[in-house]
Formats: sequence, C-alpha cells, structure tokens
Amino acid sequence: MIRVLGWLAVLGLVAGLAAGFGYAPREAVQGNVQRIMYLHVPAVLTAYLAFALVLAGSIGYLATRRSGWDRLAAAAGEIGVLFTGLTIVSGSIWGKPTWGTWWTWDARLTSTAVLFCVYVGYLLLRSLIEDPEARARYAAVVGILGAVNIPIVHFSVKWWRALHQPSTILGPERSPIDPAIGLALFVNWVAFTLLFAYFLSRRMEIARLEEQT
Amino acid sequence: MPSNWGYVFAAYGIAAVALLSYWRHLARRTHALAARRAAKPRAT
Repeated sequence: MIRVLGWLAVLGLVAGLAAGFGYAPREAVQGNVQRIMYLHVPAVLTAYLAFALVLAGSIGYLATRRSGWDRLAAAAGEIGVLFTGLTIVSGSIWGKPTWGTWWTWDARLTSTAVLFCVYVGYLLLRSLIEDPEARARYAAVVGILGAVNIPIVHFSVKWWRALHQPSTILGPERSPIDPAIGLALFVNWVAFTLLFAYFLSRRMEIARLEEQT
Repeated sequence: MPSNWGYVFAAYGIAAVALLSYWRHLARRTHALAARRAAKPRAT
C-alpha cells in the first residue's frame, strides 16, 4: 500500500511539472517566475495539513494515551517542518525578482518563520526527552499550542498591512486565478498531498518499528 | 519582465534535493531498522 502511494505521488509530481511548465501559460505581469507558485502554494498547504494532523494527534494522545496518536503527531510534525522550509525558501527565491528582496519582515513572512521555529522546537523537545510517555505528553501540549499560529499565518495578510499578496485561494472571495493556472495549481496540490501521505505512512511505520525494537 | 528562469530552476532544484534527501533518509532508517531486527536473536 505504501509503495502504491509512492508511485502515485511520483505520477502526480510528473503531472504537476507538466501542468506547471507545459500546460499553464506564462503569467502576463510576472512572467515565468510566477511558475514558482506551483511549488510554493502546494508546499504551504501541505504544511498546514501536516500541522493540523499534529494538532489532531496531540489531542488524540492526551484523550486516549494511545501511542499511535503520538506517532501520527511526530511524523506529521517532521514532514510539516520540511514543507514549511520549502515554502520559505521558494517564497524567498520568488520574492527577489518580484519584490527586489530575498526577505522582509512582512507579517506573512514573519509569522511563517515563527511557525517554522515553533515546530523545529517541537522536534527538538521530542529529541530531548527519553521517557516515551513524558515525551508524548509534553509534545502534545506544544503540538496543540503551536497550532494557534496556523490561522495567524493564513490571515496575517488580512489582519496587517503586508507586502505579501492576499490569499487568492482559501479566501472568502471567488478566486481571480485564470482557469489554466488554477488547474495547474490544483494538480500540484494533489501531487504534494499524495507525497505527504507517502512520507507520513513511511515515517509512522519507522516509528512503529522503533517502538518494537 | 525578464524570463527569470534561473530563479524558477533554483526553487525547483532546491525542492527536488530536499524532498529526495528526506526520502533517502527514510529509506536508510527503514533499512537500518530491518537489519537491526534481523540481527537480533529471537526469543525462544
């Protein structure tokens, strides 16, 4: 099953590249650099999903004390950090030609950097505690508190004056994106979600085997 | 607006390296665990 998920993710990523570089047109204002969006936006949506699962796993663990919930939270947290890192790096590379700077202390960028640091801290905390029960309990508390930052990241462009553009998807208004660009974005989002599901399954399997060894 | 393909390839290249590195990291951990389990004497 995990192998099938892996191959589906590979197929999805190939389709995503074809959609982003072949099917989607060159954006009228930004030119080809806008194609970074097909990496940047799916990466942040995957990170949101990962941290939502950290929250679910943390609540599940505190409610039931079953180690499966803790494995879910730990695995999702690790992968969430990976995808948040990709979001920050790809956004920075996109920012240079469009904003003229690699980084600025804009509300969206700053809150995303804080999100990254919170979950790096979550992983550090997990690595510092030997006792599995105490580790799972403390990590669950951080996993729940850390999730508070997710809506702050998402709505930061609405709540504060920001250089970053407002949400063009997951926003209250109808998306102004051209259908071809929207489809390419959708294909890449599905591919990243499949890749996330594959990584999550493998990482949880490793955690399960480590507990048994 | 210039093409800026360099920025596009840099972003996708870094992402490819990061994702492949994580995949390899998971594969190595799986193999190490399997080897450790195989080497462990079975309880009788």
